[in-house]
Amino acid sequence: MWRYGKLFWIQLKASLLLSMQYRADFFVDAVISMFWAATALAPLWVVYGEKVQGQIPGWGLGEAMLVVGCFVFLQTVLEGAIQPSLQTVIEHIRKGTLDFVLLKPADAQFLVSTARFQPWKASSFLASMAIFAVAFARIEVWPSFGNLARGAFLLLLAIGLLYSLWIWVVSAAFVVVKVDNLTFLLGSIFDVGRWPISIFRGFFRLLFTFVIPTAFMTTFPAQALLGVLTYGQLALVVVCTVIFAVVSRWVWLRSIRRYTSASS
Amino acid sequence: MIDVDELKKHYSVFRREPGLKNSLKALFFRKKTEVKAVDGLSFHIAEGKRVGFLGPNGAGKTTTLKMLSGLLYPSSGKVLVDGHLPYKREARFLKKIILVMGQKQQLLWDLPPLETLELNRAIYEVPMPVFRKRLHALTELLDIGPQLRTPTRQLSLGERMKCELAAGLIHGPKLLFLDEPTIGLDVSMQQTIREFIRSYNEKEGATLILTSHDMDDVEALCPRILVIDKGRLLFDGSVAQLVAQVKPEKRIALRFEGNSLPENLDSYGRVVATGAGEAILQLGLEKVSEVLSQLLARFPVKDLTVENPPLEEVMSELFSKHTLAENEMAEHALAEHALTENERAENEMAERETPKHEVTAKAP
Ligand SMILES: Nc1ncnc2c1ncn2[C@@H]1O[C@H](COP(=O)(O)OP(=O)(O)OP(=O)(O)O)[C@@H](O)[C@H]1O
Ligand SMILES: [Mg+2]
Repeated sequence: MWRYGKLFWIQLKASLLLSMQYRADFFVDAVISMFWAATALAPLWVVYGEKVQGQIPGWGLGEAMLVVGCFVFLQTVLEGAIQPSLQTVIEHIRKGTLDFVLLKPADAQFLVSTARFQPWKASSFLASMAIFAVAFARIEVWPSFGNLARGAFLLLLAIGLLYSLWIWVVSAAFVVVKVDNLTFLLGSIFDVGRWPISIFRGFFRLLFTFVIPTAFMTTFPAQALLGVLTYGQLALVVVCTVIFAVVSRWVWLRSIRRYTSASS
Repeated sequence: MIDVDELKKHYSVFRREPGLKNSLKALFFRKKTEVKAVDGLSFHIAEGKRVGFLGPNGAGKTTTLKMLSGLLYPSSGKVLVDGHLPYKREARFLKKIILVMGQKQQLLWDLPPLETLELNRAIYEVPMPVFRKRLHALTELLDIGPQLRTPTRQLSLGERMKCELAAGLIHGPKLLFLDEPTIGLDVSMQQTIREFIRSYNEKEGATLILTSHDMDDVEALCPRILVIDKGRLLFDGSVAQLVAQVKPEKRIALRFEGNSLPENLDSYGRVVATGAGEAILQLGLEKVSEVLSQLLARFPVKDLTVENPPLEEVMSELFSKHTLAENEMAEHALAEHALTENERAENEMAERETPKHEVTAKAP
């Protein structure tokens, strides 16, 4: 455990070093990611424009901003930690250098999952915090400690869900060579996470809740922050995250086995 | 140390025929064929030995190394490496070995090699004092002090290879699998790498398997070679034994003044290839010096080199002998022989374009 902590730190340090090498990029990227974080809010202004209230049933502007806050936060994690690392897996597979990873006496999934971070994404993390602050200021109710804790816990689970989803995509790279389209597709689907789930009806609502659980990732944490999440819903997310994690580990191990028997 | 018995690796691949129509058809109906990359290898290697795998492209050398290191799951047969089944990839096993591949690299591209070494230190759990000592020794031996601190992408191929070796050896492996470690390097760099590998083997008592296309590589490093072709073992012994047994001949590549060739060249030896003012003669080792002096005395020779017959030829010779012996009584023995003759002719054409120079002499 301690050893993996150390490995994590060394890989993170390498990523930091790498980002420092391109100092100009560092600042430009920081500014750009702030900009994107801000634009995540823009659609809200369209929907809640002028004085029309209650466009989305049960979600005022402040409440909807919480969802956007969760969305920007998860997007930060996705683009700053998950995506870059797993992109390196795809490159490893393409170049055949995954061989070296597999021959290391440490868990290969851990090694590749922590291979690359984009530290400047930290700036959009700040943006997500700012969005939360503005949202609560609008609602004019500050969350209790319990609600904050539950919200944070749900965001952690959301990271787990997102990571599992991306492991699936990466595992696809063992079978098909080009998965760029797939990551792009998943990225676009993740984009619906900026909306509270209640704007979707019927099929899409089920799709974005259970198949691609964007509802669990952004709507539920926002509800937890607002103190309206039931324990039943909480349990549902926990179970769902565990299932996703177990299945993604299984898919990964299977992919590695397939790779080492090279039966393509 | 290494025990391999009737080892096989068969890949099943989907064959694609050329042409649009066939490609369309292949979208729906795929024909599965089997590639026998390794087809029944058996050998034993004792601890501390240096062994070379020789064989033409696609012989199955890399596939064998991958099975020995645990990257590939054998289709059948036995592999036991220092008491481990490699494909289980137990941490205890992985800490003993290293696989270095000339065409692939583990070094982080944008960072100095030292970062990769640092990472490997943590992964292999090398204690700091041991790490420092090894790093110091490797830096001295390979002469890579400044290179370790330069981003990998700025290093030359040879410097990168040296750092790659350092990254692979920092955990003190006792089993080295080197897949074409000198590929693409110039002669002096090849020399350096060879020297280093040899000294590592001698100092640490590490067992070493090396694959190469380059006869010189294997000749210089490995007292014992295994010749593999089409996934099968054709020869097991020293290089000298191999050449003496299969092809005790030399080649003389000649370039003449002007664009014309002397007429009676074939009276000096077998003419294996000709071009504008160029020719390659092949003849028995014992006649080389005599023929050389005759040629220089009688013809306007501009340039000449003496070289070994190409490895491919030695091996296809070996292979055709092998198949002949094996199929002596089989009906299709002749057909198979004709095929290898054909391949040999092709190899000779290829060799002529990239001759391997052993001795270069300028004509007076
Ligand atoms: N993953 C794979 N799937 C299908 N066939 C493969 C695969 N890897 C290798 N082969 C085939 O197996 C055979 C042996 O390949 P291998 O790489 O072991 O040869 P090699 O001796 O290392 O050749 P080279 O000298 O060119 O490196 C070749 O015919 C190759 O096409
Ligand atoms: Mg090879």
